[in-house]
Amino acid sequence: MNIKGLIKKELKAYFNSPMAYLVVLFFVLSLNIFFFFFGQFFGRDTASMRSYFSIMPVLFILILPAISMRSWAEEFKLKTDMLLFTLPLSEFEIVMGKFLSAVILLLMMIVLTFPVPIMLQMFGNFERGQIIGEYIGTFLLGLAGLSVGQFISSRTSNQISAYIFSVVALLFITFIGQITMVINVPKFIDNLFSYLSLSTHFESFEKGIFDTRDFAFFAIITGLFIYLNVKAIKLKK
Amino acid sequence: MIKVENIDKIYGKFRAVDNVSFHIGKGEIVGLLGPNGAGKTTIMKILTGYHYPTHGTAILNGYSIYDDLLKVKESTGYLPENAPLYDDLTVIEYLDFMADIRKVPKDKKKQEIDRVIQETGLSPVVYRGIGKLSKGYRQRTGLAQAILHSPDILILDEPTTGLDPNQIIEIRKLICDIGKEKTVILSTHILQEVEAVCNRVLILNHGKIVAEGSPEQIREQVQKDDRFTIDVAGTVDASALKELELVSEILSTQAQDGKTIIKISAQKGADTGALIFDWAVKNGCRLSALIPEQASLENIFRKLTN
Repeated sequence: MNIKGLIKKELKAYFNSPMAYLVVLFFVLSLNIFFFFFGQFFGRDTASMRSYFSIMPVLFILILPAISMRSWAEEFKLKTDMLLFTLPLSEFEIVMGKFLSAVILLLMMIVLTFPVPIMLQMFGNFERGQIIGEYIGTFLLGLAGLSVGQFISSRTSNQISAYIFSVVALLFITFIGQITMVINVPKFIDNLFSYLSLSTHFESFEKGIFDTRDFAFFAIITGLFIYLNVKAIKLKK
Repeated sequence: MIKVENIDKIYGKFRAVDNVSFHIGKGEIVGLLGPNGAGKTTIMKILTGYHYPTHGTAILNGYSIYDDLLKVKESTGYLPENAPLYDDLTVIEYLDFMADIRKVPKDKKKQEIDRVIQETGLSPVVYRGIGKLSKGYRQRTGLAQAILHSPDILILDEPTTGLDPNQIIEIRKLICDIGKEKTVILSTHILQEVEAVCNRVLILNHGKIVAEGSPEQIREQVQKDDRFTIDVAGTVDASALKELELVSEILSTQAQDGKTIIKISAQKGADTGALIFDWAVKNGCRLSALIPEQASLENIFRKLTN
């Protein structure tokens, strides 16, 4: 696959504009503010980072669409898709190139959070396996969120509407399980909704449980939206 | 090099391209000429693989757009209308990206990028962000990426829009040079461009080809008669010209500054000029001018597309 060039270009475009820096900064700052100030980490005096990761789904709902919104919408707005789709790359390669470059940005953000758990090791006896599990869950949640966001971006030429629609979509698929807390629904619908919810599957990782079903769930969601993205692009022909 | 057979492109109810076929050989520069919305850009989008046609097929460099689209894309260089570019990249970053995607070998990359920068005159703006470039430099950056991998087929959608007259001449010269070995299709609505650059023209209207050939051939096809303007000293009865059999119509007569200006339409191909001269001598008229009139491409264009 000849997508290295495309990934390089996507990353350059991210970092040549202030957007990527702002997104990363916002992510790292708000994560730590929530954890240390609102979460009262030191006051609670517990050697657990669970509250560090439990805000991840909410934060991702705001952050991931900011990364994914531009990936297609910008191409359509500048009409650079006219050239992009005439380059010797298949639709799948183009979609993957865009997806992987967003994933690289996600990884950078995650790596930037490493200093906190590493430093906290000094203060107590943290369960390392749990923290690793929580990081894996965060990464998988990020993959799913980015694939949804990029699919939505491919349906519009307006970054702002791509952002808003993605936030709404992520809100919905993250917290669909919680709907049953406010409305009374039959038991099987309750189960179904909670199964479809991203946060349900993230919670197992948060608790430090590795379940292949959760892996599979995130893989299926990510794969599905990448597939839909390729389809959406092909339909434009 | 390019074989297009019976292509249609229908968007909803609108027929953008209507049963178009043409062949273009190696070393030809062909102009697609037509009013806005005639289907020029749509044809280019089909040839570059951006769109599939609704019906029909196209073969470029021996590869079908259905079976070997990636090969087709590798053999073509494309400058879309208005040169869309990534505003967040610098010119050099952009060309570097294109060289990677176009699989320009690593050891030749720098050399090839330098070559196109030279040919398109981009050196003053190499490190500038594309978003800050003027229209002319944008257009040239778009052209630079199209020729970066020395494609066999070059497809240029209005390549000289936004350029100043000097740049237009440079770019036309560049296109002519490329056209000596490669195949070039360019669309334009600037008629002088066609005369200056193209060996052959396809005139399109409402998605159909309405005329095809070299500018001279199209003139022949469209103009059914030869036209002359005759200036004669003194006052002359123009209807006397009618005695010449080949004069089919006297279009106008006008007296001006002691001269009579007569415009006639004559049968095609005959040695009309000499016969008119003989007629004037025989009748004792003093000819001060005898001008054969060529229909301008503008007139032909209007006639075909109105």
